[in-house]
Amino acid sequence: MNQTVFAPWEDPAAKPLIQFKNVTKRYGDFTAIDNQSFDIYEQEFFALLGPSGCGKTTMMRMLAGFETPTEGTILLGGEDIAPIPPNKRAVNMMFQSYALFPHLSIWENIAFGLRRDKKPNDEIQARVEEMLKLTRLTQFAKRKPHQISGGQRQRVALARSLAKAPKLLLLDEPLGALDAKLRQDTQFELMDIQEKTGTTFVIVTHDQEEAMTVASRVAVMDHGQIIQAAPPAQIYEAPNSVYVADFIGDVTIIEGAVTAKDNGYDIAFAEGQSVYAESTLNLTNGQTGYIAIRPEKVAISSEKPERVRNAVQGKIIDIAYLGNLSTYYVELPNGQTVKSQTANTRRLSRRSFTWEDEVWLSWTDTAGILLER
Amino acid sequence: MRRLTWFNTTSLTLGFVFLYLPMVILIIFSFNESKLVTVWAGFSTKWYGEVIRNEAFLSAAWVTLRVAVVSSTIATVLGTMAAYVLVRAGRFKGRTLFSGMIYAPLVMPEVITGLSLLLLFIGIGLDRGIFTIILAHTTFSMCYVSVVVSSRLVSFDQSLEEAALDLGCTPMESFRLVTLPIIAPAVISGWLLAFTLSLDDLVIASFTAGPSATTLPIKIWSSIRLGVSPEINALSTLMIGVVTVGVITASIISKRATLRQQAEERAADQP
Amino acid sequence: MRRAVLILVPYLWLLALFLVPFLIVLKISLSDTAIAIPPYTPTLDFSAGWQGIREFFSELDFENFIFLTEDDLYWKAYLSSLKIAVVATFLTLLVGYPMAYGMANAAEHWRPTLMMLIILPFWTSFLIRVYSWMGILSTEGYLNQFLMGIGVISEPLVILNTNIAVYIGIVYTYLPFMILPIYSALERLDGSLLEAAEDLGCSRLSAFWLVTIPLSKGGIIAGCFLVFIPTLGEFVIPSLLGGSETLMIGKVLWEEFFNNRDWPVASAVAVILLLILIIPIVLFQRNEQKQREAEG
Repeated sequence: MNQTVFAPWEDPAAKPLIQFKNVTKRYGDFTAIDNQSFDIYEQEFFALLGPSGCGKTTMMRMLAGFETPTEGTILLGGEDIAPIPPNKRAVNMMFQSYALFPHLSIWENIAFGLRRDKKPNDEIQARVEEMLKLTRLTQFAKRKPHQISGGQRQRVALARSLAKAPKLLLLDEPLGALDAKLRQDTQFELMDIQEKTGTTFVIVTHDQEEAMTVASRVAVMDHGQIIQAAPPAQIYEAPNSVYVADFIGDVTIIEGAVTAKDNGYDIAFAEGQSVYAESTLNLTNGQTGYIAIRPEKVAISSEKPERVRNAVQGKIIDIAYLGNLSTYYVELPNGQTVKSQTANTRRLSRRSFTWEDEVWLSWTDTAGILLER
Repeated sequence: MRRLTWFNTTSLTLGFVFLYLPMVILIIFSFNESKLVTVWAGFSTKWYGEVIRNEAFLSAAWVTLRVAVVSSTIATVLGTMAAYVLVRAGRFKGRTLFSGMIYAPLVMPEVITGLSLLLLFIGIGLDRGIFTIILAHTTFSMCYVSVVVSSRLVSFDQSLEEAALDLGCTPMESFRLVTLPIIAPAVISGWLLAFTLSLDDLVIASFTAGPSATTLPIKIWSSIRLGVSPEINALSTLMIGVVTVGVITASIISKRATLRQQAEERAADQP
Repeated sequence: MRRAVLILVPYLWLLALFLVPFLIVLKISLSDTAIAIPPYTPTLDFSAGWQGIREFFSELDFENFIFLTEDDLYWKAYLSSLKIAVVATFLTLLVGYPMAYGMANAAEHWRPTLMMLIILPFWTSFLIRVYSWMGILSTEGYLNQFLMGIGVISEPLVILNTNIAVYIGIVYTYLPFMILPIYSALERLDGSLLEAAEDLGCSRLSAFWLVTIPLSKGGIIAGCFLVFIPTLGEFVIPSLLGGSETLMIGKVLWEEFFNNRDWPVASAVAVILLLILIIPIVLFQRNEQKQREAEG
């Protein structure tokens, strides 16, 4: 079976659906979006991820038409959308609060957008039924929004924004109001629906796990800028900056002056102590570099491991027991804390390490990622 | 997002001009020298002098004030009791009639309330005077008080009372020490509402007042039926002034209290 | 025991000073006019015992109500009260809605001030507020002076003592009752609903019709009843601003009582007015109930 990987952003011939070209948005003195250019391709599930106030919502509201860029242009299918008001755009939005019309039934909510297009009645009828079926809401068609559960409301909002078959669907924190268990199920449902309809989705979220699960590409934002836009695995395994490494998942950052060696660099993080990481970066000796190491890539042992270049000794100061995993916080003599995570394949009573134990931490040459900033 | 600003600004401006211009004109012309109210003849405060020297106005004002203080105080007590009964007493015989009698006076035309009370007073041979006006005003304003207080009682966390009982209060003590301090703002605004309603009332007072007692609205009424007079303009200005100062002071006090509470909450949140 | 006292005190007060007086009105409306003190018969005489009570009831009749239907002054007055109340309510809505809308869309820090400006007139004397229009609307009043001054008219307009003046007076005095419930409905309106409507293809105007109006319907209905109900029995405004053409039932009742001293007819007028009011009051209650359910 030969399945091509979906990665249009790597194909120079692919035509983007959306193009941001040097887009800046200012509110008075405050710059919400700072000169951003990037592309989103058809059928992508694109996640804008960042802390609150990073500009991700502004980005989406510009796509919906509720905000206009101060500078730069946004193209949709090659056409500048700035002069098109929100009600004329082939873009629909699913609101964070869902914004279901409380005075209309579920059926009427879904039909709302279709009716505005003055479509014939039987066509509306058919489309609404289709949407109800897609979101498994057929039996609730006659109810009002306050008569159904939160998860069902979320699906109504999704059905309503999909009913007009938009080229682009915007989702503003679509799962934020749901509890943890329901959120997981809904994530897969969202992906499923996205695949079935073939619509391009842009999702805004502050929940990294959610972004990693659903998206084909994740754009990590901070202070009005996209720091890195890449597929989830790449964001996690190959972050381009300390900010991204730190924002996604758990990480230990070790800082120090670099010295070129073999296929990478030695980083001197304390008097006479250094660690090594392979890297293709081009750095000058003596420059400050950062090594980002994921805790699950750090092994913990009571004896000094053999034949490993990166081994440091320290004392366990904290243990975070998560059930399936345990994270050990190990303090090195210079005060640096390094995290090590192990799977709890054995019962708790037989665990070998406890507080104040002197232990050795080790990792391979390729485990740490060297970053410039 | 608020892009209809010009429309909103225009409608609000026109609306407030409509609401306030008549008052402003009235205030301006209260300083008119001329006896002809609609012709400006120079600035003068002589009509204020006339008002202050007018014995009839002064005695009517005194009657009105006494009626308002006494009736609103009784109405506050009765209205708070009624609110408590409505919200807390649970089911008892005649509850529906009771709540009906609380809400009915709110929508009853004043002419009917006045007429019915007058017929009662005549029927039982009660001489009309300050006493009958107080009875009448207490009756309709206690209903307003109970509506104001009961809306506060509904949102009141009943476990506070239960906690007081649990800690050894008698029911009376728990009301005095816990419930009353918490609903106090509603009780006070109920009193103020009752007080204003009483000050303001013409129709019911006209029915229930006898020759021995005339309230200020009755006095004003008999004088403005004949047309506009500069003396009434001056009197109105005085009344508007008192009310405005009162309302603004009250709102500043309550705003200060809210701000202080917010500041304290913020301070408490900081470690 | 304490509970009994708590219930009985306000209960007895209302029975004695609200329900009993109303029953007296009902009873007198069924009596005959007499030149006596009190000016009606029969009077209930308990000393005559059971016989007296039977005689008393046998003399009650619907004569006054029949009289009301025969004299067209009364039913004309009812009809004209209804008409004035309906028109005035509608006019108040026309003036009040844009103001409530403007307030709800004003910047957050402005709203308490605007709110106070709406409520402030409510605390000032009703009588004075009505009176303030007499000087404006009279033939030599400020409005005519102004219009003639700028040359719009050459002859003064006759407004005072017409129904127009009554409408102005009602809109002016009852405006806060219309604005407050509409404002509270509009303020609760979630802005993202309007964005959602636009996003789904509504123009701003159609979003207003399809979303804002239906969602403020409860406030509109409440405001209309709050204006309509007291207007129907209004007495001060038609007496001060209205003229001979202005027939309102509150005024008729007052005159019947004080000028003609016809207590039975006045009582009958009151009873019918109440019967008419029951309909809007019940509808109003239902609307409130529905609002509460929709919120809860």
